[in-house]
Amino acid sequence: MSQTVLETTNKHRSARLQSLLRQKAQWVRQTVLKMAVYARSGHVTTAFSQTELLVALYYGGILRLDSKRPKWPARDRFILSKGQGGIGLYPILADLGFFPKSELDNFAGRDSILGVHAEWNTPGIEVITGSLGHGLPIATGIAQVGLLDKKDWLVYCFLGDAELYEGSNWEAAIYAGSQRLSNLVCIVDRNKQGVLGFTDEIRTPRDGPRLNPVDNKFAAFGFDTRVIDGHSYREIFKAFTGLRQRIARGCKPLLIVANTTKGKGASVMENKRFWHYRVPSGADLEAARAEIRRAHPSRKRQAKDTAPHEYE
Amino acid sequence: MSTTPFIIGMRDAFFDELYKRFAADRNAVFISADNGAPTLDKFSSDLPGQFFTVGIAEQQLIGMACGMACEGRKVYTYAIAPFVTLRCIEQVKLDVCAMNLPIVNVGIGAGYAYDIMGPSHHTVEDISMMRALPNLVIYSPCDSISAAALASITFDDPRPQYVRFDRSGIPDMYTGRKENFADGLVLVQPGKDIALVATGVMVHQAMRVASVLATKGLKARVIDLIRLKPINRQLLLKHLCGVSCVVTMEEHLLAGGMGSAVAELLMDEGLSKRLLRIGQDDRFTFDYGGRDVIWEKYGMDVRGVTRRILKWLDKAK
Repeated sequence: MSQTVLETTNKHRSARLQSLLRQKAQWVRQTVLKMAVYARSGHVTTAFSQTELLVALYYGGILRLDSKRPKWPARDRFILSKGQGGIGLYPILADLGFFPKSELDNFAGRDSILGVHAEWNTPGIEVITGSLGHGLPIATGIAQVGLLDKKDWLVYCFLGDAELYEGSNWEAAIYAGSQRLSNLVCIVDRNKQGVLGFTDEIRTPRDGPRLNPVDNKFAAFGFDTRVIDGHSYREIFKAFTGLRQRIARGCKPLLIVANTTKGKGASVMENKRFWHYRVPSGADLEAARAEIRRAHPSRKRQAKDTAPHEYE
Repeated sequence: MSTTPFIIGMRDAFFDELYKRFAADRNAVFISADNGAPTLDKFSSDLPGQFFTVGIAEQQLIGMACGMACEGRKVYTYAIAPFVTLRCIEQVKLDVCAMNLPIVNVGIGAGYAYDIMGPSHHTVEDISMMRALPNLVIYSPCDSISAAALASITFDDPRPQYVRFDRSGIPDMYTGRKENFADGLVLVQPGKDIALVATGVMVHQAMRVASVLATKGLKARVIDLIRLKPINRQLLLKHLCGVSCVVTMEEHLLAGGMGSAVAELLMDEGLSKRLLRIGQDDRFTFDYGGRDVIWEKYGMDVRGVTRRILKWLDKAK
């Protein structure tokens, strides 16, 4: 297993780990910004809302992975159903060694292995998820096979909240709940925004329709549910503890609603309309860079802002 | 000579053969979207862990098939033809075709098989829509014997596939004949004057048309196009050799269907043959009373097709 992944199940509250994860999150946000600016494309704000969750899953020892063997049969299957979040996952996969970091320089460029949406030709990406509402049905198929073959790997399905408007998710939820897919863990990145507006604060005709209550909806479909702060490592680790044991216990599938902020970490983009697919520039970009830089001042080596190829 | 035997249906002949492969290979799974068949019962009763149902939920059907195929399973899905194609076309496009997975989507009720059930159950757009999807192989058999052969052909082929079946009550075409259905097409009968290329139930219509034409002194060769994508170009061109007039017959919209595929092939090959495409025009049908009514009203019945061919041939003179 990659050395960058820490075995942390019991010591997740340690200050050292928290500090390391904060550093990683800072680096991910800086890298995402750089990639987007360089490619003039990419979903920055959606990548920022999921950052702490992915950093915890990948660096915090939650996911069982081997970066040298992306198709290792015993790996946990991680489905990034919100495929537009790929830009926020690629830096982590590169850092862990799934592919060279130099690939990040060529995000969405000619001959790149990294697309704007997650696609399965990228090492570490399981399936194609550019269109929303595909991940959960696929995850149920993978989970069903895992249970049939009595495997102890888990299937993580990482969903955007606005993705839940797609009816296919609810077709899959009926199946998952009914079949008691105990190896299935769904995470909803609950940033409460779609492209046009807000999912629950209905203030203009661009907002809604209302998604709340997400947890109770899934509970009614036969899921266990947990609601956490998706930017709090303490809450993330608490929610993701002991999941593998759920398989042997025959638990219900699990849904974790992670409350997040779209654009988290750069207040110029935080929780605002029209930033879904917009790359900041000028004063906005400078403000975002400065804020992310300040977020973890203890980090000794700051990522350079100007040269897109310097990620170390 | 005995009369043409009727069997339960081409779908059942297919499932009976498929069952043997499933029993011998526990890696194969079958997912139904709340659709049954007499021959399917033994899949669910005798093959634990190989039969699943998702309810009337075609997006889940295809998505789940994708997940299972990602884990190495050979997957068959099953629903009524319009629903296993158009209802979930994006899942077929991305989860099956783009990922190039070993999934076989089986649809029942091709063309106007569900005659009195209206446009919701008519499947006259599936060939053109499925034909647009890269990697997908498409089959449209005309009887239970070719359908039974497709069980092993599809099982041994790791590509994404779609098989469209008619409903029950279609007579057999290949009783006592040894044909290599894996070729993708069959020369059903030879003839020197004109070629009729048909698929599915229209192969039977083509044979009837051919016998009427024979009474007028015209010898028609009949070709059963079983595999619609990819078409066996070489073999089809061989069978079209020596005739200058080609008629395509399909129970499908003319836009983008089998006739279009044949037209593309002829144009691509630079062959100057006259082509008449028989099928449905740009319309929905809300007609009841049976398949015969639809065929008669829209010129797909034997009399209508024959008349049209003769008029068309006359015009060429």
